[in-house]
Amino acid sequence: MADQLSFGLASTRGRSSHLRRFASRLLVWLADWSMALPLLIVSALMLVAPMVAMFAGSFIDGNGQMSLVNWSDTLGSVASQRAIGNSLLLGVTVATITLIIGGPLSWQVSRMLRLGRAFSLGLLNVAANFSGIGLGFAFVAALGTYGMVTLAMQALGLPFSPVSQSSFWGMVIAYEYGNIPLFVLLSLPAMSLLRDEWWEAAQTASATRWQFWRHIGLPILMPLMLADWLLIFTWSVGMYGLPLALVGSAPRAFRLITVEMGQSMVGSLFGVNHVPVYAVILMVIATITLLAYRLIVRRAMQWLV
Amino acid sequence: MARVARLAQRIPIVLMAIFIILPMVAVLLYSFATRWTSNILPDGYTFEHWIDGFTDARFAAVLVRTLLLAIACAVLDLILVTPAVYWQKVRNPRIRPFLELAAAIPFAIPFVVIAFGLLALSGRFAPQLQGTLWLLLPAHAAVAFSAGVARLSEAARTCGAGPMTILWRVVLPNIGPGIASGALLAFGASFNEIALVQMLVGNRFETVPLYMLNLLKGSNADFNLLAVMTSVTFLVTLVLSIAVVYVNGGATTQLANTNPGRRETQ
Repeated sequence: MADQLSFGLASTRGRSSHLRRFASRLLVWLADWSMALPLLIVSALMLVAPMVAMFAGSFIDGNGQMSLVNWSDTLGSVASQRAIGNSLLLGVTVATITLIIGGPLSWQVSRMLRLGRAFSLGLLNVAANFSGIGLGFAFVAALGTYGMVTLAMQALGLPFSPVSQSSFWGMVIAYEYGNIPLFVLLSLPAMSLLRDEWWEAAQTASATRWQFWRHIGLPILMPLMLADWLLIFTWSVGMYGLPLALVGSAPRAFRLITVEMGQSMVGSLFGVNHVPVYAVILMVIATITLLAYRLIVRRAMQWLV
Repeated sequence: MARVARLAQRIPIVLMAIFIILPMVAVLLYSFATRWTSNILPDGYTFEHWIDGFTDARFAAVLVRTLLLAIACAVLDLILVTPAVYWQKVRNPRIRPFLELAAAIPFAIPFVVIAFGLLALSGRFAPQLQGTLWLLLPAHAAVAFSAGVARLSEAARTCGAGPMTILWRVVLPNIGPGIASGALLAFGASFNEIALVQMLVGNRFETVPLYMLNLLKGSNADFNLLAVMTSVTFLVTLVLSIAVVYVNGGATTQLANTNPGRRETQ
């Protein structure tokens, strides 16, 4: 009897000490995370949960059943195929032109003297941050039918007909406005990795400028430039405000994933089930880019530092 | 000869500068033009569109609304982010990967995706939140925070694990610039954001980018008024860029580096 009693007591004592240990551990945990919790909760609800919802939504049909119907619908529709293809093509074209123009430009800016450098950086900063609808309108004001450049060309008697703002090349030009400056700003730190002494050393070994770039400059810079190419590609594919402004009154002139998503909201119900699939495609591109970007930068830094 | 070569080297940067400046000049001229259909420059100049804009009830309401939203977003981000970054530095480094993830999401994922996800989620679990600021404001704070978090963690780098007095005497003055530029960047991100505004509240809460889109797509678009609003957003961006440089003690900073969104930004 006494044994049983003491056993019972021991067990309750054991449980309560368990409880106490759990409570104290919870308190420590709360104290460890307390000041970060509000931000983490907001981020989980406003960033992570929507992504999960889109991912799950792409595998759920209209009746709430698990199915691949959204995927087969979207990937099987010619219009969607064109939107996906256009978005990827636009992203690749914009990023590649950005790399070809922005790379040498970034090199030049990195070797500028103080005043010219400060001026260039200021200008590039402003351009990189001027985006969205405002940029779309600025494009019309400069290169539209009554745009400043168009009028100037015609006043000079040149047979200049403006590129349509909603055409592929019209969009490429508008995208480059923000992306080239962004690329220069992004790649500027990489340019300082290339030491001036190396060029001097190459010169004493009677290397030509071409040889220097071929064997030293490009091999060092290329991985980092490709990482920046990836970022520009991903951001271009995901752009929303700018293409929305450019597509303007011709609603379905040039299909892009993001614009299609927006128009499924305001337009008919047709194509609503494509939205989560588009979202997952965009998320996959973004995730791959981010992981590759980190990997490339870490590797490039590893052997340089 | 060397001089010619040096000038030739400058050509790309000069062309780039022209490419950057021309559209801005065109917008600015449009906002002051009386009529502009046939010559290189407008036929005449007037302040009428600017006066029209600022005396127009809709225009003024749009501007005030957007400014208030952007201020609220910046303040909310200060309240959320500063303690989190501070705590990560002085108490629990395990917070760091979570902060990095939260910053990386808006950096890489297009805002349209987040907007549609929030729309689907709120429709399912909290329909009463749909179309309200109670959804838009935290969403803006969440996407805008990545614009400022790099600056903030840079700011927090200076702080050690000191007691509260040290916090007020040493830490706050030191991290001040970082906090200030973080808030400025969050303000800018919210001011220019359109995807979340359009999906979550729409014309019930017309902000500057949405107003500009509506004007641009309207049947009889008033390009002069549009030019005035574009100039205003442009000025806001310019002032923010200068302010960020200023609070960082004149160092040339890369405003764009932390902002995709772009980001519209985007």
